[in-house]
Amino acid sequence: MQTVTLKPKKEIKISVEGENISADIFSGKTEKEIHALVAWMGNQKTTIGELFSVKVEGSGPAADTKIILEGDFSRVKRIGEGMTAGLILITGNVDMHLGAKMSGGKISVKGNVDSWAGREMKGGELIIEGNAAYYLGAGYRGESCGMRGGKITVMGNALDFVGEHMCGGEIIVKGNTGILPGLSNNGGKIVIGGNTSRPGSEMSKGTIIVNGKVEEMMPVFKLEGDEIVDGVTYKKYTGDVIGNGKGLLYVK
Amino acid sequence: MELLIKNGAVVDPVNGNKGDKTDISIKDGKIVKTVSSKATIIDAGGRLVMAGGVDAHSHIAGAKVNVGRMMRPEDSRSGISPRTKITRPCTGYTVPNVYAMGYRYAQMGYTTVFEAAQAIMKARHTHEELEEIPIIDKGALTLFGSNWPTMDFVREKDMDKLAAYVSWGLLASRGFGVKCVNPGGGEMWGFGKNVTGIDDVVPGFDVTPKEIIVSLMKVNEMLGLPHSVHLHCNNLGNPGNYKTTLASMELANQVKASKKRQVMHVTHLLFNSWGGTNWGDFESKADEVANFLNNHKNVTGDMGQMIFGSATTMTADGPKQYANAKLLHAKWSNGDVELEDASGVVPIYYVKQISVHAIMWAIGLELALLTKDPYQMLLTTDHPNGGPFVNYSEVIALLMSNKKRQEEIKTVHEAVHAKNKLPGLDRELDFSEIAIMTRAGTAKVLGLLDTKGHLGVGADADISIYDIKPDQIDPTVEHAKIKSAFSSAAYTIKGGNVVVKDGQITATPLGRTYWVDAKVPQQHHDEMMKDIVKKFKNYYSMQLANYMVQDEYLTHQQVVKAGIIPAEVN
Amino acid sequence: MTVITDALCPFCGCLCDDLTIVVENNKITDIKNACKLGSAKIMGHHRIEAPMMRADKKSEFKEVSYDEAINEAASILFKSKRPLMYGWASAVCEVHKKGILLAEEVGAIIDNTATVCHAPSTLAVHEKGLPTATLGQVKNRSDVVVFWGSNPVHAHPRHMGRYSVFAKGFFQEKGRKGRKVIVVDVRKTETASMADEFVQVQQGSDYLVISALRAILSGHADVVPESVGGVTKEQLSKLVDTLKAAKFGAVFFGMGLTQSISRYKNIDNAISLITELNAYTKYVITPMRGHYNVTGFGQVCSWETGFATAVDFARGAPYYNPGETAANDVLMRKETDAAMIIAGDAGAHFPADSVRHLARIPVVQIDPYWNPTTEVSNVVIPVAICGVEVEGTAYRMDGVSMRMRKMIEPTLPTDVEILEKITQRVRELRGE
Repeated sequence: MQTVTLKPKKEIKISVEGENISADIFSGKTEKEIHALVAWMGNQKTTIGELFSVKVEGSGPAADTKIILEGDFSRVKRIGEGMTAGLILITGNVDMHLGAKMSGGKISVKGNVDSWAGREMKGGELIIEGNAAYYLGAGYRGESCGMRGGKITVMGNALDFVGEHMCGGEIIVKGNTGILPGLSNNGGKIVIGGNTSRPGSEMSKGTIIVNGKVEEMMPVFKLEGDEIVDGVTYKKYTGDVIGNGKGLLYVK
Repeated sequence: MELLIKNGAVVDPVNGNKGDKTDISIKDGKIVKTVSSKATIIDAGGRLVMAGGVDAHSHIAGAKVNVGRMMRPEDSRSGISPRTKITRPCTGYTVPNVYAMGYRYAQMGYTTVFEAAQAIMKARHTHEELEEIPIIDKGALTLFGSNWPTMDFVREKDMDKLAAYVSWGLLASRGFGVKCVNPGGGEMWGFGKNVTGIDDVVPGFDVTPKEIIVSLMKVNEMLGLPHSVHLHCNNLGNPGNYKTTLASMELANQVKASKKRQVMHVTHLLFNSWGGTNWGDFESKADEVANFLNNHKNVTGDMGQMIFGSATTMTADGPKQYANAKLLHAKWSNGDVELEDASGVVPIYYVKQISVHAIMWAIGLELALLTKDPYQMLLTTDHPNGGPFVNYSEVIALLMSNKKRQEEIKTVHEAVHAKNKLPGLDRELDFSEIAIMTRAGTAKVLGLLDTKGHLGVGADADISIYDIKPDQIDPTVEHAKIKSAFSSAAYTIKGGNVVVKDGQITATPLGRTYWVDAKVPQQHHDEMMKDIVKKFKNYYSMQLANYMVQDEYLTHQQVVKAGIIPAEVN
Repeated sequence: MTVITDALCPFCGCLCDDLTIVVENNKITDIKNACKLGSAKIMGHHRIEAPMMRADKKSEFKEVSYDEAINEAASILFKSKRPLMYGWASAVCEVHKKGILLAEEVGAIIDNTATVCHAPSTLAVHEKGLPTATLGQVKNRSDVVVFWGSNPVHAHPRHMGRYSVFAKGFFQEKGRKGRKVIVVDVRKTETASMADEFVQVQQGSDYLVISALRAILSGHADVVPESVGGVTKEQLSKLVDTLKAAKFGAVFFGMGLTQSISRYKNIDNAISLITELNAYTKYVITPMRGHYNVTGFGQVCSWETGFATAVDFARGAPYYNPGETAANDVLMRKETDAAMIIAGDAGAHFPADSVRHLARIPVVQIDPYWNPTTEVSNVVIPVAICGVEVEGTAYRMDGVSMRMRKMIEPTLPTDVEILEKITQRVRELRGE
């Protein structure tokens, strides 16, 4: 078991690119080695050691590596990018692209995450106790697939475009979401605990369940009647009819 | 500056060299007989030396290439490399940025590349990009096949005016040759329609694709242009289209070449050699097309080889692109140009286990292996339609090794066994044949064989050295080495400058842009311009005075003279 | 007296190229064929006469030499860890090329004015492509023309006459009489008043209305409610019939569509509608671009960097992700620590929070004109006016490029000269 604890040395104003903060990269490395890892801040090439205090206890493979991020990481992007195993615990807020392209392991955030958390995620788990911003579990611009696998749970709210272009995996938002969740959903599952608007536009496959209120329904869904899912009765819709979509939209 | 390449195994089919150790002397950017003792020496150490690669058909610059970039940030984010002291940053795989275009061609040992299609009205854009593609020499073919003046003069059977229009259109666009894409179809796409074969009548203009093709060939030869008509056949991409292709190629017999070259070049034949009637009974007719070429020396073609993986289809064939987008449920850009032509851009992903894709892949290779004379079948991927040009080394390795082909066939959809002849073809090309398909042949087809595609005295000092010793390698077995060597040149020399060493860019001089200045009798020009002036007054959305590409967009131009009136009479 | 014919207008994305300019003693004395907006632009206003600097934003500007201003500009960019280089729309492509090179060298974010108008259209193009055509194609063929969230009477005064509504063409000899003009907007605009049909959409409901049209078009009218976004199903069905009946339809959209709720998704959806209409008849769609060469920046930036705008060169290689790398993204987060604003007016058009941040950081302005950006600048470098005093390339809203003429001789240096000198100075500061 290896535990690595990072703490910002001072307030970070210009975002730092933290793609080297991941269990795969930290595992088996000494403090000195982690210190030397590159971290870009704006157009300045700097190191993790310059920006963060680093404490390493033990040593182990990625799957047995735990990273604890203490303090304010709200200006550190791309944490856990491409991670395949291990655990990251974040005690506060984090910046964009948390866990982008990750395929395994777990990231847990006490605070809020900025946009593109879980972008193009393939596997593993993201747990966000606060709120998520835009494009949760979505794709990169122009790509046909966003999230492909794994699970994202947000205890708070999320903004627009949750799970855009999702091709697989599951997103649970306990609170409300912004507009157009599940846009172009192509096979993922989205469960929204609260309210939302315009869900499921252009979905071809997959499932969206809305437990709160839908402020505006897209005029592209066929009402199939009532259906009971996990003991709850929903109105079941299929669509988006424009592309003969086979998506399922459940609204309480 | 003088340069001497010693101990090279020189493969130079034009000058009859098949790998003999020959020294090459270079002075002031040209190959010369001898150089002084002050010359810088490059010791090739027995490695393969060829003329710099020449690509006669690639989409490297202009409106539709840029549309490809704009609609595909997901492509641009691949292949990214930061700026260095010498190079600008690179992006993209199927639609690289301008810098990557030049660097990557040079890194493969290519030194001359022709953009395959520009509409006159958007030619300024093409030249803006060409001006920023480093290292390589380049040029662009100009679209004429659906232009209203073309169709009007064809209908009036006025070849003098048509020749004058082609001459003026090349000047206006600073174009190198006559491109004809789905003739007539570009106009009909203006109303969402298309022609179905070479005998359909184009509404509003009362001409057929056949008449357009024949007339453009006639005036091309009247003008004595270096290159022949460059044809993208009607019905491209439709099962059963080989009949249209054969019927189109047959038209070449109606016109006599003005030069020692073909009268018709039919491009990316992979997409035009299709049998069957639908995607279910889709099959290869590469054998029929190759057989035609084997019996008709006045027509040449290029492969348009497909590469599995990501590609971006882009062509002036607007209706085909809409059909593609519908078929693939892909994003679709369209770019009709008033009075001139259409165009479309659609991303695609070629998959080994999709039967149609596997059959297409095999068709390209069949075309190269069944066409006996490599001067008649150039190596292209119709970049980025069949796949990005950076994969040429893969195509070379496949053509040189049946072993590699058989290994590859095992990984693709089994349909190739029933629908293609490829599994049974055992021809393996040698270095000379590869040099023809990538250098001598392309230069000859373009009409640039005097200075490009060979290593004789007087040729441009465009040279590539590959990390292969021809006498110590068996390409039929060691295909991986072949692929690796051709993907990254040991040296690329452009105009006498070393621009690549060990696969790395070492210098980035700006190459030249070739265009053809073809003269016609003044009175033909004046008569023709009366029609053009009317078209600008009534139909174009811009002024004639702002139409032609200005000199500012060609800072390094190479003008090739041609025309009905010999230059000295002018 | 010199008369320049077929001159290009440096105002809007129509890039009219039929102006006649009369010049006497290096002064423009008459302009023919231009609209009022174009004429006013060409005649000029509020020129900055000399370079100026000030130590802080509260002090008065002091006139300085060009060298001093250039050195200070270079120093600001060189020292910056997160520089932003914004503007570009009112400059020719030759300026964009120099700007992108400088952005590369100082590791800046480069973004253009599209970020506050049509950048959402680009985001939509990433999703769906853009089925479009040159404007002459519309002039020669169109029989149905739709203005959606755009008001050419007001913003592109000659568009309808030259290209879209009144223009006569080869297959459309009647001009206005041969065309059905439809306006979709949230309010009855000047353009709507002269349309054959006006479809009034509730604010923010464009996305829903477009989806409803697509549903009806695809034969699923049954799922469409009786009213969508304030438009009755009956009117929507009738509209679909009208659209389908066209031989050649053209849709021109403006900021009413790009800057309302759902933003780029509205365009995304509209492009899908156009694509689907092509199964029945011919349709094209074109953004009504604002500045005369805002399109050009997108073109140059695409072929040089692979991305149309909002390119972050911080790490030496282009990175693109609007929402993260656009001007207002980094300004609102207060990440930008220095800005160069050139041929665009951030001071006038950016949200208050962004402008407030600009007021806190060193700002270099390069522009012919005094404008709200000047008020937040530290270094102001006046330049010659592109398209009036400087020739160069511009791209019309439909992607057709033309060369702008020089009408009069400049008395000030050009943008290109200034950018080259700043770049040179940055290299010196780097020790090259």
